Amino acid sequence: MQPAPLAAAALPWLADAAGFEKQPAAGWLKALRETGAEQFSQTGLPTQSWEGWQHTSLRQLASIKFHYSAEAATSDAKKLPPKLLEDSDRIVLVNGQYQPHLSAVPAGVTVMGLMEAVDKKVAGLEEHLVSVGDLQASPFKALNTAFVRDGIVLKVESGAEIARPVEILFYNIGAADRAPAVYPRMLYWLEENSALTLLERHAGEGVYLSNSYTGMVLESASRLKFYKFEEESPAAFHFSLVSVRQGKGSVFEGFSYASGGCLAREEYQNQLIDSGILSSISGIYLLKNHQSHDFTVLMDHFEPNGKSVQHFRGVVDGQARAVFQGKIHVRRSAQKTDGNQSSHALLLSPQAEASFKPELEIYADDVKCGHGATSGHLDEAALFYLQSRGIPAVEAKALLIQSFLNTTLEQLSFAPVKEIYQERIRAWLSQ
Amino acid sequence: MLKIENLHVTVAGREVLKGIDLSVEAGKVHAIMGPNGSGKSTLSYVLAGREGYEITKGRITFMGQDLLAMKPEDRAAAGLFLAFQYPVEIPGVSTTMFLKTAINAVRKKRGEKELDPVAFLKLQKQKLAQLGMDAEMLKRGVNVGFSGGEKKRNEVLQMAMLEPKLMVLDETDSGLDIDALKTVAEGVNAMRSPERSFLVITHYQRLLNYIKPDVVHVLAQGKIQKTGGPELALLLEEKGYAGFYGDGEAA
Ligand SMILES: Nc1ncnc2c1ncn2[C@@H]1O[C@H](COP(=O)(O)OP(=O)(O)O)[C@@H](O)[C@H]1O
Ligand SMILES: [Mg+2]
Repeated sequence: MQPAPLAAAALPWLADAAGFEKQPAAGWLKALRETGAEQFSQTGLPTQSWEGWQHTSLRQLASIKFHYSAEAATSDAKKLPPKLLEDSDRIVLVNGQYQPHLSAVPAGVTVMGLMEAVDKKVAGLEEHLVSVGDLQASPFKALNTAFVRDGIVLKVESGAEIARPVEILFYNIGAADRAPAVYPRMLYWLEENSALTLLERHAGEGVYLSNSYTGMVLESASRLKFYKFEEESPAAFHFSLVSVRQGKGSVFEGFSYASGGCLAREEYQNQLIDSGILSSISGIYLLKNHQSHDFTVLMDHFEPNGKSVQHFRGVVDGQARAVFQGKIHVRRSAQKTDGNQSSHALLLSPQAEASFKPELEIYADDVKCGHGATSGHLDEAALFYLQSRGIPAVEAKALLIQSFLNTTLEQLSFAPVKEIYQERIRAWLSQ
Repeated sequence: MLKIENLHVTVAGREVLKGIDLSVEAGKVHAIMGPNGSGKSTLSYVLAGREGYEITKGRITFMGQDLLAMKPEDRAAAGLFLAFQYPVEIPGVSTTMFLKTAINAVRKKRGEKELDPVAFLKLQKQKLAQLGMDAEMLKRGVNVGFSGGEKKRNEVLQMAMLEPKLMVLDETDSGLDIDALKTVAEGVNAMRSPERSFLVITHYQRLLNYIKPDVVHVLAQGKIQKTGGPELALLLEEKGYAGFYGDGEAA
């Protein structure tokens, strides 16, 4: 077999990975990083001719030189944003690095830095980390793998139903002259019959690239509520890949609020590998100026009686653009699958854009799958109706936008997070 | 209260109102009757300030102000209220939330104090009872899943809450059965006062049995063809609109 040609543009991205050569590490870990680097060097960043990348251009990202640093990063606790919820515990990562002195978790949950977990030989971790799947098809995952070191392992022990929500703050500090690239690798692991509510917040300052890869393992009958806040700095780049692997009867309720960064892509790959699973990932996006945000979702049904949900709504102003690509894959044995997907965008300006790519790939015959996508402008009739009742135009518009987004928020089962999202929407609208 | 002078309106390139003159004095009920397509809703939208209606000639004064220069929300604050022929559905905005926002926006503009939640709920409860409405409805999105009759009641509820000075009712009777018609009419009649005026737009005479007009106008082909007392409505009921097309034009 002919080796694929090296993509010259890939090399600067990998330059800082050379630093790992001098550091001691387990053989399998070194090999894993090398595989990531090698695979990335064959492709470089995806171009718009790649399947799944037609709607998102990476030119802006490629124009900046980013640096990876293995030196300890930390932050003044006072500089960090306050917790999202008063009654919660928080885990903090600064530039991808776990900050134990700023972190706490409730009983029943353990958390440690990725390398600490590797050193302690946490059972199942090596196997999980090396099962990276197809790296050539996913250059960001390959690049993350080339730098695998930062991030955390979070585990909920079997049967533990954790009432207290846990926030994970990813705080990134960019420098004007030397823009950092951070490559956190996470594993969130819920053992059998356990339950957890996670709030994952991404924020920061200045120019940086956050390229994260998160594996979530939901063992049978476990339940994870995962609420994300993509609130990166306006000059930041955010690429996240979340791979959710769900066991029998497990429930994943995922939601993402996206309003930060100049260029972002959140990718979710949910595998419903057993029967009777509920998996949902929904979200809202609020974009303006030249922001670009892409949600790419795959719901992969392996076995019968699974239900998957993807409901996305967003508003796009200025010259911003939104992308939603959602696929429901129903394998031959996944009978009685119920797959639902919808995507609706409100365009607030003539230059705003929204592109959708819904996809169904169904091999079982007894399934129920539905999808719908619309993009349009504010309803003039409704706007006039509100104004005719004395509500000023600006307020009337805000009310209509809130109601449009609320439809998606209403599905959330954790009320406090719904309120935070609503507060975020109000703040965005009053800017 | 309201004075319309030589009003010409073009919609989508076609002249729909061709010179309307109409004066409504404080405390009076005027009815406008006319066949479908005669321009009744066009007139009501122009009064409320909807976009897309080009006023090519004429003027409207409301409470001494130039109405056509005002934004829709300012017209509402000044005391104009349009009960829509086709009330708009707004999914996701509960009726209570909508009413509270509207009432406080209007009060703010009128220089009155905003209602606190307790005072608001008390007022809402009282008006609901008057109109025989179920409080459950208020939790739903504005007009979403409402029957035709419920939508019309909801219009009258909003009217009662906002306490306007001039009420324009655009076919509020359509889609109502006789009981609903009576409650709606009672709601309207409860608001009658020497300071308030009504412009009741209808296709049928039926509503005017319950809301007694002082003056009846016949609108056809973009013009007021005839003005008279309540007896004119009865005549229309009997003879139809055929006799009111000016200069022998057929309908
Ligand atoms: N938005 C519009 N676009 C095009 N034509 C319109 C529009 N609104 C009204 N018209 C036309 O204007 C005329 C009057 O309509 P309307 O005022 O609704 O009559 P009425 O309420 O008396 O039935 C009709 O011929 C109607 O088709
Ligand atoms: Mg009409």
